[in-house]
Amino acid sequence: MNYSYIEPRKKTPFTAEFQLIASFFGVSILMLLLTYSFLLYKDYTFKNEKKRMIQERIFLQNEIATINEKISYIQKQSVLAEKIHTQNMVLKDSIANLFDLVPERITLSKAILMKNGLILHGITPTKDVYNFMLQAPLRSIFQKTYSSFYPAKNGWYYFVSTNYMDDNTDEELDIED
Amino acid sequence: MILVSVFLLLFVLLFSFFVLIPEGQHYREKRLELKKATLEYQQYKDYHDELMANLKDLQHKNRHIITAFDTIFNPDRFQKLNKSYFSSLTLSKLTREKDEDGFAVYEVNTSSHISSPKNFYDFLDGVNKSDWIIGVNFPINFQRDGEMIHSSFTMKVYANNRDTNKTTSSLQKR
Repeated sequence: MNYSYIEPRKKTPFTAEFQLIASFFGVSILMLLLTYSFLLYKDYTFKNEKKRMIQERIFLQNEIATINEKISYIQKQSVLAEKIHTQNMVLKDSIANLFDLVPERITLSKAILMKNGLILHGITPTKDVYNFMLQAPLRSIFQKTYSSFYPAKNGWYYFVSTNYMDDNTDEELDIED
Repeated sequence: MILVSVFLLLFVLLFSFFVLIPEGQHYREKRLELKKATLEYQQYKDYHDELMANLKDLQHKNRHIITAFDTIFNPDRFQKLNKSYFSSLTLSKLTREKDEDGFAVYEVNTSSHISSPKNFYDFLDGVNKSDWIIGVNFPINFQRDGEMIHSSFTMKVYANNRDTNKTTSSLQKR
């Protein structure tokens, strides 16, 4: 027996309210999970990137130390080379000054240049020529000067002049006029 | 349905407050740390680049000196290069001396004939431009020998100490 004139509607659990709630929570939970995954992924990449940066930094630190070593070595080479070049030039000037010091009337036969001394062998027409024209300038340069003479066959004098600087003075042989 | 809704709401809230927000803070901390590490790295990189430029500049300016320190002394080549200054030039055997400032030092005695002291001055100028780092040392003897001057002197040749030094030739390859 029928109590209604219409057919009963089919009942479904997916009502409009349910669909609304399901889609709301579905979207919400999906967004939460996506955000969480994004954060986890970013954490992972940050960690890797930081590790890489630290490795690169350590590599750079080592490189910097090596470069600094190389720079200081080149500077050391440059300083030494400059020093040697200067010494050679000082030596050249010293020798030039020494030969300029010898007057034309005196002839040298031997010259020994030492670190702190000078020995000259030569011949002079008179002792006075030697004393005034060679020994005087040598005395102004060297602290100790010794001279010895012996006669030559032609009436001139052979001489040996030994000159030393004190040890506490500048050791470089720098003969300046 | 209300129960399910309440449960889901609770889940969303709890997940947000106890998982997502702490993870977000963690993310911000990590991002800050990375930024700091990147900045630090960049500072090192800038300093490294600056140093590298300095090194290149130094290498360029001192290339003759660097090569000279790296070049092994060759007596035959030395004689060939300097024969124009002397009428005759003889070199003794090279002997190793005590290191100076970390550089290897070799000593060689030289005996030569020159026609005038000017030859010797020119030789000293030439030595400074030679392929080696050479210092002419005392004692220097000049002795009259007929129309010529016999000269003898000691030279010190400076070179990279191959025992301790990594040598600068590697620098030039960079």
